[in-house]
Amino acid sequence: MIRKMTLAVTLLCTVAMPVGAMAQLKVVATTTSMAMLAREVGGERVRVTALAPPDRDAHYLAAKPGMIRDLRRADLVVAVGADLEVGWLPAAIRNAANPAIQPGKPGYFEATGHVPLRDAGQAADRSQGDVHPAGNPHVQLDPIRMGRIAGVLADRLGQIDGGGQAAFRENAEAFAAHLARRVEEWQRMTRNAPGALLYHKDMDYLLERLGVPILGYVEPLPGVPPTARHIRSLVDRLQDRGNGVILHRSFDSVDAVRRLGDTLGWPATALPVDPPLGADRAAYVALLERYVDALQPQ
Amino acid sequence: MHRTIAATLLVAMPVSVALAQGSSLDRVTSGTDFNPKISVIFDGVYYNDNVDGEGNELLGEVDGISHAHGHEGEHSHGHGSAGPGFNLRTTEITLSGSVDHLFEAFANIAVDSDGGVALEEAYFISRGLPAGLMVKGGKFLSDIGTINNQHPHQWDFVDQNLAYQSLIGEHGLQDTGLQLRWLPALDTYLEVGFEALQGEQDKLGTLADEDEIEADGVTGLDDRGDGPRLFTVFTKWSPDLGYSHTLRLGLFGAYATQHQEIHDDPAVHALEGDAWLAGTDWVYGYDAAGNYGQGDLKLQAEYLYAVKDLEVAYHEANAAAVGQTRELRQDGFYAQAVYGFAPRWDVAVRYDATGWTNEKTDGSDTLEDWDSSERGTLAVAFRPSHFSMIRLQAARSSLSVEGEREPVNQVFLQYQLSLGSHGAHTF
Repeated sequence: MIRKMTLAVTLLCTVAMPVGAMAQLKVVATTTSMAMLAREVGGERVRVTALAPPDRDAHYLAAKPGMIRDLRRADLVVAVGADLEVGWLPAAIRNAANPAIQPGKPGYFEATGHVPLRDAGQAADRSQGDVHPAGNPHVQLDPIRMGRIAGVLADRLGQIDGGGQAAFRENAEAFAAHLARRVEEWQRMTRNAPGALLYHKDMDYLLERLGVPILGYVEPLPGVPPTARHIRSLVDRLQDRGNGVILHRSFDSVDAVRRLGDTLGWPATALPVDPPLGADRAAYVALLERYVDALQPQ
Repeated sequence: MHRTIAATLLVAMPVSVALAQGSSLDRVTSGTDFNPKISVIFDGVYYNDNVDGEGNELLGEVDGISHAHGHEGEHSHGHGSAGPGFNLRTTEITLSGSVDHLFEAFANIAVDSDGGVALEEAYFISRGLPAGLMVKGGKFLSDIGTINNQHPHQWDFVDQNLAYQSLIGEHGLQDTGLQLRWLPALDTYLEVGFEALQGEQDKLGTLADEDEIEADGVTGLDDRGDGPRLFTVFTKWSPDLGYSHTLRLGLFGAYATQHQEIHDDPAVHALEGDAWLAGTDWVYGYDAAGNYGQGDLKLQAEYLYAVKDLEVAYHEANAAAVGQTRELRQDGFYAQAVYGFAPRWDVAVRYDATGWTNEKTDGSDTLEDWDSSERGTLAVAFRPSHFSMIRLQAARSSLSVEGEREPVNQVFLQYQLSLGSHGAHTF
């Protein structure tokens, strides 16, 4: 009986297999930044979906059925890596029954494996917060690192879809070159920026790139919510500094941010750390321009 | 200065160099940092109740088709049982990793406070099959329903719900065998699974113990059939509701080809036949995009219905009863909600019941009709970080035990800590 059922299931699968559905490469990106990158590099040859919108904290997602459905049919997964998605992506991939996207296969790509990371090689000691020994995974706001990742992604896409190799390279080079030009411009604009107090260690790649001082973090430890004592110590340290700005994400605790802003007299701006769903290069650049604006208080 | 050098190096690196480097499959971090990944879950409970610490025993002895005559020498044990005062619950050690390009393997070892070790799970899953097929083999928690494959540290309450506890067992359906799962490539999520299991169960597909047969002088029971003796099917479906809402509906069934029971009250007699169970599981989740889980909501419910279709195989005092039908039916239900009312805080409520249907018939006439048991539970949990949790839980039950109504009030204060590799957030 079991043998008959197995046979029936196998037959069913064969019938249900899509025929000649290789028109566009199906790329599944974990965040909207990675989706933007895949869209820019892949162009017309790819169809990209993102597993999470930009208003979610990518550390804390759950492996939902909708993600597994997308991964089931994916030709390529573009993940951030460095353990950002460790809580849910391996579980989602494991349940997606798709041999092409298993880690180690060409269909699995991690962006952070291709650029130097801040805070890499820290002790894996969780008394220091939710630290990632591989390094800080939030590279997406650094346009130069993103340009470099675009290049590697182009090669990976070319490995899967040989016919697009030249186009992918061309797209990646155009993306990287455009951002490199803009970075020079933004560096000039933020030359006299007073510095920023960040909520989480995720906007620091951009500040480092622009040469804007990071004045501290609202979280006492990465992933640990702000405490009253930590807020007091930040105020003590920063109140004589003159001006500065506070940057946080929309989903962060606004109480702590408002208290700090009021006490220090600094403007606080909520900014997404990823571009909107469906973003292209222009939307990504627009997001970075909002940062450049927020870093220069009037 | 360090920062400046790094920045300069990066800016200076020409794009073409970066392009040339991308040909190899560079280092990935997903599950490759440590092999095997190891994690240890610590779980401790302070417990008290209004029935001299017997609350958890009473919950395991509520009237129903598995406790028809009070099995002797069979005590409820496991993760939920706690006596009054401090309890160290089982410490779970999990090892997992990829074996090679075809297999991943998992082991879950539970160590109790006396050092007793139980192998909860030890299985492989395939990672290379085509057409959306997956095979799991070894000893594992069946993937029927929603709660069945969850370990105690994944529960939203300290203890197992009454429906599972009375109809499947506190651990859930946990057995040795093979599973085949199929995910067709559709626009909505659909999963179909089939399991063939050996059939070593406490409730569904129990087999009489050789020693007990001999000691009680029972005759007429068939020999233990070859495995697999327990088969399950399940399906789960989830429509696409966008990023914030998730709904998953499931149907499942289990069939045990052989089921034996020996009772010694009022006179020694034995029953033999088969048993089946059917159920449905419903889960809805709302992801509020809030800060540390604030505003998130999860609603979950399951209904189980179990039938044992037996015949009297032996009767010490009444040989004429041999061959008579004994059909036993019982159902169980739970519904629960978990809501993140503040960052890192959630509140959970649960209603669970067993034995709305709770009867023994001889095929036409009702021989016994037991009362149902029910419980209401409220729990508040605080998570100082992603890796620790403190929970306060209070429960009020109205149980039917040997025909008597037993009101039981319980209170638990629990901690759970996770050491080692990051656990999976499953839906």
